[in-house]
Amino acid sequence: MKTRTSRYILIAAALAVILAVPAIWIMIRADEVPTFSLAWSEYPSWSAFGVAHEFGFINGKKGEIGPIEKKWGVDIELKEADYDTCLVMYGSGKCDAVCITNMDALIPCLTRKSVGILPTSTSFGADACIVDARITDIQQLRGKKVYGLAKTVSEYCFVRNVEILGEKEADFRFTNMDPAAAALAMQQKRDGFDAIVVWNPFVLETLNKRKDARVLFDSTTIPGEIIDMVVMTQESLDKPGGDKFAWAVIDAFYTINQQMAKSETRDETLIALGEKFSNLDLNSMRKVVQQTRFYSSPEEGIKVLGKEATAGIMEKVVAFCVSHEIVPEAPAVGFGSRAEAKEVAFRLDPAYIKGYVAKSK
Amino acid sequence: MEHPLVLEIQKLSHWFGDNLVLHNLDLNIIRGEIVSLVGPSGCGKSTLLRAIVGTHPPCRGQVAVYALGATTPTVVVNPSRDRGIVYQQYSLFPFLTAAQNVAMGLMLDQTSLPFRFFRHMSWRNLRRRHLEEAEALLEKLKLANAIRLYPHEMSGGMCQRVAIAQALIMKPEILLLDEPFGALDEATREELQRMLLTLYQENIDARAKGEDSPYTIMIVTHELNEAIYVGDRVVALSQFWNWQEQGHLRCPGATIVLDQPVPVYHPDEERNFETFIQVRRRIRQAAFESSVLQDPREYKTFAADLASGRGEGVLR
Amino acid sequence: MIRQPISTRLTVLLGIISVVALLAGYTLLSSMQHLDNPDDTTIPTWSQLGEGLQRLIEANPRTGERWLLLDAEATATRLFLGLFCGILGAIILGLLMGCYAPIEALLVPPMSLLAKIPPTAALAVFFVLVGTDTEMYVAMIAFGVLPTLAQSVYLAVHDVPREMLYKAYTLGASQMELIWNIIVRAVFPRLIDAVRLQIGPAMVYLIAAEMILGDVGFGYRIRLQMRLLNMNVVYPYLTFLAVFGFTMDYCLRLLQRVTCPWFVRHGR
Repeated sequence: MKTRTSRYILIAAALAVILAVPAIWIMIRADEVPTFSLAWSEYPSWSAFGVAHEFGFINGKKGEIGPIEKKWGVDIELKEADYDTCLVMYGSGKCDAVCITNMDALIPCLTRKSVGILPTSTSFGADACIVDARITDIQQLRGKKVYGLAKTVSEYCFVRNVEILGEKEADFRFTNMDPAAAALAMQQKRDGFDAIVVWNPFVLETLNKRKDARVLFDSTTIPGEIIDMVVMTQESLDKPGGDKFAWAVIDAFYTINQQMAKSETRDETLIALGEKFSNLDLNSMRKVVQQTRFYSSPEEGIKVLGKEATAGIMEKVVAFCVSHEIVPEAPAVGFGSRAEAKEVAFRLDPAYIKGYVAKSK
Repeated sequence: MEHPLVLEIQKLSHWFGDNLVLHNLDLNIIRGEIVSLVGPSGCGKSTLLRAIVGTHPPCRGQVAVYALGATTPTVVVNPSRDRGIVYQQYSLFPFLTAAQNVAMGLMLDQTSLPFRFFRHMSWRNLRRRHLEEAEALLEKLKLANAIRLYPHEMSGGMCQRVAIAQALIMKPEILLLDEPFGALDEATREELQRMLLTLYQENIDARAKGEDSPYTIMIVTHELNEAIYVGDRVVALSQFWNWQEQGHLRCPGATIVLDQPVPVYHPDEERNFETFIQVRRRIRQAAFESSVLQDPREYKTFAADLASGRGEGVLR
Repeated sequence: MIRQPISTRLTVLLGIISVVALLAGYTLLSSMQHLDNPDDTTIPTWSQLGEGLQRLIEANPRTGERWLLLDAEATATRLFLGLFCGILGAIILGLLMGCYAPIEALLVPPMSLLAKIPPTAALAVFFVLVGTDTEMYVAMIAFGVLPTLAQSVYLAVHDVPREMLYKAYTLGASQMELIWNIIVRAVFPRLIDAVRLQIGPAMVYLIAAEMILGDVGFGYRIRLQMRLLNMNVVYPYLTFLAVFGFTMDYCLRLLQRVTCPWFVRHGR
């Protein structure tokens, strides 16, 4: 009888230890390094984070850390999702930072004060208006439907080019359609699909698969206006370790850029970046990274986040968002540190890149 | 007095692949008769009925129907309006009321789809007359209270009565009943049996006046008492006969092993169980005893009985 | 005990409790989210939802458009046209399959295969076949519901007892009369049941297609407003979809009861 009771106690104790050990371990680990999450979608300069995980510079899994994370003492959790989903995730507070364009960042910043910590690239041809060969002049598009995803950078790119070419936006019919579907319809030469505005990889794909189609205009006319960036909530930045996370993310991005700069790792990195982006070959990927111009050095990044370079651009973008009902009210946009830009919804702050540079020395 | 034929079955055989079911049947049915078809289960009663209805024509031999007053018969090749049928189950269209069910035949017989679509007004008038006719028949069969009911709202007995009315309104040359009262309780069953006897009385009256009897009925049943009670003639089908003595290596199928007139009852008359027992014993002996394999001709005495005046009712 | 009946009052009470619990659960979720971030729009509060509702009912101050009217008109037109074509095609094919063995042998295999394909995945095919306008949505819904519906009709035709058909022949029915006056009448309530089950998939196909292609319609508005984080517009739209689906279902049940008073469901 006695042995039986003691056996039960022994089993219970063993069970308790088995259950408790991992729990305690996790608790200790969590105490050690804070975890922050970054939501990203497949896009050349954002896939850098996926590639950094793939190459082992960081470990995107929660609770596991790679060399860069170890260096900064923070755990980066990568959450890959569709672009729209990333936006909703960020807006509902399910991630600390997100890869997003400067234009779309204006939407969630109204409810979550946001800080642009790292510009990754700018569209320099990655958004384009592709037309049937018969169309040689924008005036021919008057009254015709132009397909593209409404209230996104596609529409922005279209409207800005219309302005630059001296036309009135009201003369054109920008019609909503998913870029993948619009590209498909264009490639199939459907009736009525004389013009689409899409982004890469659909630009290159459509031009590859339909030889008679041509680019009427693209985002090279508005360099630096469409900026792909990493945006983080002020709330997360204020948390302990928030700045470390920002530094580590910046470090990971520039590490991949260095890989691309080196001739021996360049192609490998390009292939890795393009692998999930689209089934484009190496040559096309070379073109993609031209059209999506990376801000590959901290100097460039610091410049882009500065007032001189970007204040005018952000004004235009905000005006567009308001007039096109993308945001119900104009969000206040500011530059520099919190002290410099008080009470703004969206702040572009080069301090984190600077911090990364200073601490890396 | 002469007996006009309604149905003529000649040398009918049927098989399903290796399974030999019916062998060389000959059967003539006289206008105005109620013929009861009995036999052990699996003897091919349903197969014979299907051949007569025309849904499954026989492999060999033929079924032919004499139209009223015709001297040459028409060979049966498919189901048609000269043979009415009442099944044990699904005897009515569930989506029609009793009156609509009965009027269905009139509609299908007298009008066509295009007529009903394009000449809607004429159709509506005709439809009203059809329904009146159907209601009159239902009232005659004591179903006045069922006129507007759907089949699922009626009892099994009512359904079968309506089904008989549905078939009779077409004035078929012969009405075939396939175990029609099999699912009914004893009392209802008796009521319906008496209804058939009432119809038979009309046959007798018509014949007495020298007119054609209106109803010729063949009823398939597994109840020997029912067969004897409602029929003026019992036909038994069985696979138990002396086929070996006739040179067959295996049973070539069921054949008619008994064909005799039986006493006719008035609907209000009590049954005579003495005669019932005698007739039942004969039927058992001829059709149901697997140990007794007699010559099928032994109990096929109908023609001779008729000639000697032993038939009752319309067979007199 | 399993299947022990309960009183009507308890049934109603439990129904009300479940709905109240659902609403309370949402309120709790929303307040928790707003505790976390007072400006949150992803799980809107009831007052935010009210604003959103107002926004989609009232005329847009700039364009004068009423979103709900605009979207409902587009979506409903597409849905009804698509369902109409799909149902009509399914009835014809189902009847032919059920009535004639060669057509049965010809169409049963492709139907059972097509029934398993989500039409939204074959977008490119629809582009080539019918373009990208209303016809595309109509075709997508029609092709989405047709195989399954046709199979249901076919099976229902098969379930019509042979006796009933033989009987009709003995009453003098022609081939066409047999189909129109017997088979169609007999399978009609089951057709309604099958259509009821296909309303959901049809709506899913349509919304998915509108999310990709639409420039007006429920799917378009939901995707756009979701990207703009205006969940207080999205959730009312979802509610409208649910209410619409429920109403359709109810109407079809009503239609069944009115047109087929003879139909008794087994097992009740």
